Amino acid sequence: MAEPGPDEAAENTYSLRPSLQQRFKSSTVKECIHAILKEKLANVQYIPEEMPELTKSLSETITNRLKEEGFDRYKMVVQVVIGEQRGEGVSMGARCFWDADTDSCAHDVFVNDSLFCVVAAFGCFYY
Amino acid sequence: MEGDKKRTKEDTWKAEELRKHLKALLPDSQNEDQKHREKKLRRERTVHDIDPNRHERRDREKSKERTRERERFKSTERDRDKRREREREKEHQREHRERHKDKVRESCLEEGHSVLKHKDRETDRERDKKHKTYEIKQIDPQNYLKSFEGRDTENHRRREIRHLLEEEKARTEERERRHKAQKVKEDNDLRKKIEKVLAYKGEEGEGVHKLEEHQELDKERERRHRERKEHSVGIEKERLSKEKSHKHYGKEKEEKHKSKRSKEKSSHRDREGPAAEANERVKSRENERKKYDLRNSEYKKGERIQEEMSHQLVRTVKDKGKLIEKEDMDTRQEEIKDTHISNPDTGLEDFSTNYEDDFEDYADDFEDDEDQSGEVGDAEENLREVPFSRTSEIEEIQRAITAENDRIFTPLPKKLKNEKKEPVMERQDSSVRNSFRGIFMDFQMASQRQSSRSMASKQKKRISELLPLIDLDFSVSFSLLDLPPVNEYDMYIRNFGKMNTKQAYVQCNEDNLDRDIQTEEVETLEKWTQHPGESALVSGGPVNSQDTSVNGAPTPKIDSQKLASFLRSACQVIAVLLEEDQVATQPRKLRSRQTSLSISDSCFQLNTNQPFLHGRKIPCLYVSQVQRQTLLSVHGLPEKAGVGLLSRKSLICVWNIWQPSSPQKVLICDSEVICCCFSPSKATLVFAGTADGSLLVWDLREDSRMHPCMMITETEWTFRVPTFSTDGILNSVNHTSPILAVEPVSTSLNSDHSYGLSSLSYQEEMSGPPFQIASMDENGILNMWVVVELQKVDLAGSQTDLGLVPGGKVKLVHSSTMELNNSLFPKDISQRMPQTLNIKFLSSNPNHFIVGTNIGLVGHGTRHDLKVVPRLFRPQESRLRSISITAIDFFPFGKPLFLVGCSDGSIRLHQMTSAYPLMQWNDSTKGQPIVALQWALTRPAVFFTLDASSNIYIWDLLDNDLLPVAKQTVPSEKVVTMTLLGEPEKANGLLGIVLAKESGQIDIQYVKKKWALPQPEESDKLYSVLLQSF
Repeated sequence: MAEPGPDEAAENTYSLRPSLQQRFKSSTVKECIHAILKEKLANVQYIPEEMPELTKSLSETITNRLKEEGFDRYKMVVQVVIGEQRGEGVSMGARCFWDADTDSCAHDVFVNDSLFCVVAAFGCFYY
Repeated sequence: MEGDKKRTKEDTWKAEELRKHLKALLPDSQNEDQKHREKKLRRERTVHDIDPNRHERRDREKSKERTRERERFKSTERDRDKRREREREKEHQREHRERHKDKVRESCLEEGHSVLKHKDRETDRERDKKHKTYEIKQIDPQNYLKSFEGRDTENHRRREIRHLLEEEKARTEERERRHKAQKVKEDNDLRKKIEKVLAYKGEEGEGVHKLEEHQELDKERERRHRERKEHSVGIEKERLSKEKSHKHYGKEKEEKHKSKRSKEKSSHRDREGPAAEANERVKSRENERKKYDLRNSEYKKGERIQEEMSHQLVRTVKDKGKLIEKEDMDTRQEEIKDTHISNPDTGLEDFSTNYEDDFEDYADDFEDDEDQSGEVGDAEENLREVPFSRTSEIEEIQRAITAENDRIFTPLPKKLKNEKKEPVMERQDSSVRNSFRGIFMDFQMASQRQSSRSMASKQKKRISELLPLIDLDFSVSFSLLDLPPVNEYDMYIRNFGKMNTKQAYVQCNEDNLDRDIQTEEVETLEKWTQHPGESALVSGGPVNSQDTSVNGAPTPKIDSQKLASFLRSACQVIAVLLEEDQVATQPRKLRSRQTSLSISDSCFQLNTNQPFLHGRKIPCLYVSQVQRQTLLSVHGLPEKAGVGLLSRKSLICVWNIWQPSSPQKVLICDSEVICCCFSPSKATLVFAGTADGSLLVWDLREDSRMHPCMMITETEWTFRVPTFSTDGILNSVNHTSPILAVEPVSTSLNSDHSYGLSSLSYQEEMSGPPFQIASMDENGILNMWVVVELQKVDLAGSQTDLGLVPGGKVKLVHSSTMELNNSLFPKDISQRMPQTLNIKFLSSNPNHFIVGTNIGLVGHGTRHDLKVVPRLFRPQESRLRSISITAIDFFPFGKPLFLVGCSDGSIRLHQMTSAYPLMQWNDSTKGQPIVALQWALTRPAVFFTLDASSNIYIWDLLDNDLLPVAKQTVPSEKVVTMTLLGEPEKANGLLGIVLAKESGQIDIQYVKKKWALPQPEESDKLYSVLLQSF
C-alpha cells in the first residue's frame, strides 16, 4: 500500500500530439488533390446526371489517397463540390471549430470551360 | 435528481415514522440497549487504556479540522455569514456535547461492559437470524458462508466485530455508491459515516427494497432504539437549542423539516455514542489503520484534506438535517473546482449519468480495493503488532470480515434488481460490481481492476496533460472558392470568340482610330512619240490649256491667219527685194554669161550650186501656171551614191526666179521622181509621180519644224517630207508602174457657176476651189485623185489615213480609174499595145484630155467616157509608125489647138476637131528627136522647140510657117529639158527660157524682145495663116 501506485510507473507511453511526420500537411494534401483533379477532370464536361457519381467517386478517391499519406489518428473529411460554369459568381467558405495546432484543412479548385470543382479536405486529430 | 431526493426524503420520513413507531413499541429494550452500550463503552475505555490520549487527540484533530473547515469557508466565501455563525455555535455545542458525553461515558464505565455484551448478544442473535434468512434465500454463497457460520455462533465478540465490519462494509459500499474514496482517520468520523450510511441504507431499503427492508429495519430499529435511549435526555435539550439556532436562518425552512431535522440531529447525536461503543474493540486496529491512513494522507495530501473537509462538511451539515444534501452538493462543486480530477461526492441523490462520474467509479473501485486490501493488511498487522493477547481474535475477526463481506455483497444484486425506481446507471454499476464481488473471487477481479485502474490512471494523467494543451478555437476560416461572375463581354467572347476570329482591338471614342488612304488622282496626259526620231517632231500630244502649242505661238486665230498670209507674202517680197539689191550690187555677174546665146538678151542662173544638188540630173522642170515666177526643178538620184540622209532620195526644189540664189524649199522623197506639178489655183501644193508608181503630195504651207532639217555648209536646210503618199496604201487602185505624167485638173466648169458663191465663202487658207489630180502610168492607167484638205491637224498621225504624215493637212482620195489603152484606142490599135507617154488636159474644158503614145498617135478622151470625135489625132501620113510623142502643148490663147513633138523630129499642129494636123513639119531638126516643145506665153504665133542635141528652135508662124526663124545651139553642155517662163498678163516682153543642163545647172535665158513682145492682132493673123494652110 505504500507504493506510489501504477500512476507514476508508466511515463510517456502515450502520445499527446501528432508527430511531425504524421501531422496533417495541407501542402501535400493539396498536391494530392490537385493531381487527382487534374487526372480525373481533364476533359470532363458538365453533365448534370453524371455529376453526383463523379463527386462521390472523387471524394472516395481522394480519401483513399489521403489515407495512404499516413496521417495517423486523423479523421479525414473530404468534401467535393462540382458546379456548372455558366458565368455566375460563386463564393464558398469554411469555418472550423478545432484545435488549430493539430487540425488543418486543404483545398483546391479545378476550373475548366464547363465546370468548376472545389475539394476541401479537413483533418481532425483524435487525441 | 429532485424527484429522487424527494422520494428519498419521504422514504426517510417513513423510516423515521417507523422508528418512532418502534420506539413506542419497545421502550424497555431501548433503555436496556442504552445501558448496555454505556457499559460497553466504559469497558472499552478500560480495555483500551493503552491509548489514553486517543480521545483527546481525536478531539484535537476534530477541532483542527473544524478550524480548517472554517477557514475554507472563509476563503471560499460561499457560505453566508449567518450560517458560519451558526456552525460556530454548533461546533460549540458539539464540543460541549462531547465533553458531556465523555463525562457520561466515564461515569458509566463499569457497568457498561456486561450490558454491552448482553446487547451484543441480542444483536448477534438477530443477525444470525438475518444471516439464516440470507442463506435460505441465496443458495450460491451458502456453502461459503456456512464455514463461517459455526464460528460466528461460537463467539459473540467476533460477531460484534463482524457486526462492526459489516457496518464498515456498508460504509465502503456506501462510499462506492457515493463514488468517493473516503479515508476515515478518526473514529468519530468513521462512526458518523457509518451512522449516516446506515441511515441512508435504511432510507433506501425502507423506501424501495421490501425484501431487505425487513432485515434492515431490524438493524435500524435496534440502532435507533439504542441511540434514542442513550441520548434521550441530552437530545431533548439539544433539540431545543438546535431548533432555536435553526430558527435564526431557517425562515424559509418548513416546520416539518425542522422537526425532522431535529430527529436527524438526535440520531446523529446517537450515532456518535453507539458508534464509539461498537468501535471500542477495534480501536487498536483502527489506530493502526489511522496511522496508515495518515501515511497515506502524506501521499495524497491535497485530496485527502479536501475529502476530509468535505466529510466534515457532510458531518456538520448532517446536524442541520436536510441541508446536508445541498451542502454536499456545494462541497462537491467546490471539490470539482479545487481539483482537476473531479472527485464528486455522489451521495444518495447523486445518481447522475455523468461519464466522469463513471470514470471516477473505476478509480474509486480501485481505491476501495486498496482499502479493502489495506484493511486485510491492517488486520494482519494488527495480529503482529498487538503483542498482548487477541491475535487469534483478530484472525477470527478477519475471517469474519471476509465472510461478512461476502454475505453483504451477495444480497446486494437481488436488492438492486428490485430497484426499479433507481436510476439505471447507478443500478447497473452497482449490480455488476456487486455481483462480481459476490460470486467470484475478489483477487482475480482485483488484479483485473488493478490493470484497468492503471490504465485509467494513465488515461487520467494523459487527460490532465492534454487538457491544457487542447485549445479549440474558431480563429480559422477558409475561403474555399471565390469565383467572380463573368461579365457580358467575357461571356460573349467565350461563346463566339473562338470561331476563327481574333479580337484585335475594340474601338471606342477615346482612341478613335481612323485609317484611310490618301492618294491623289494620277494626272495623265496622252503623248506620242516616234522611233526613229528622224524628223524634227518626234513627240507630241494633246496640249493642255496652259501649255504652249507645239505648232507655234498662241495667237488669236483670226489675226494669226491674216498675219500668216501677210507675212508669207511680205517676206517673199522682202526676200525678193533683198535679192535684187544683192544682184544690183553685184552687176553683170549673171548677165554676162547670158550673152553667149544669140537668141537671148540676158540670162541668169539659178544657184544650184548647193552641196546636196551636186551630181543630180534634172529630168523635169515645171512652172506654175498661176504664179509664173515659181519654178519646180526635179533633181534625180545622184550618179554616185553618197552617204547621208539625202543620198538615196530624190529632191524637188521650189524656186522663185526673182530669188535665184537659193531654192525656197527643198522637198525630198524616197523614190525617183519622174514628173511633178503644182496645184492649179495656187502654188501651195506640189504633186509628184515616182518611178515606183506612188503619188506624193507636199504641202508647202506646213511648218518647217515638222520636217527634218540639216546643217549643210553653215546654212540650215529643211527637207520637207511628203505630206501624203500613196505608197503602200490603196494597193487595189494604186499604180503598179512608173507614173509618167501628173496633171492638175481644175474644175473650171464648176468654177464658173460657183464663182459668185465662192467669193464669200472660200477660205483664203485653202488652195482654191477643189480640184483633182490625174496621174498616168506606163500601162495606160489613169487615176483621178481628189485632193482633200483636212480641217483638223493631228500631230500624232491619223489612224485611217496611213499615207498622211503626222501633222499633215492634205490627203488624196482616190476618185476613179481609167484604162486608157482599152477606152481610148480602137481594137486594131489597141492590139498593137500602144504605150501612153504623156497626157494633157484641155484647159478650157478639163473633162477632155489628149494622150500621147509611142505609135505616133494622140488619143482623145474624156473623164466620163463620153464619145468624142475624133478619137485619135493622127499624123498626116496614115500608116502607123513607132514614133513616140515626146511633147504635147495646148495653145494657150483660147483656140483648141495643140502642138505635138515626136521622137522622129516632126512637129504637128492639131486642132481638136480634126484627126489630122493643120500643119506638119518634118525634118526641122534634122531628124533629132524633139525633147521639149512649148508655145510662147506672150506671143501666140511663136513657139520654141528643143531637140536632143541641145538645139533650141524658135518658130514664128507669122514670119515663116515652113522653117524655124532661129536656131540656137547651147554650146557648153547638153540641155536636158526646157520650159518657158513668162507673164502673159504683162506686156513687158520678158520671156524666159529655163534650161536644165545635164550637169544640173539651170539657166534662164530671156529671149530677145522681137520674139517676146506680142504683135497687134497676132492671133487673128495666126488664124488666117492657119486657115490658109488648111
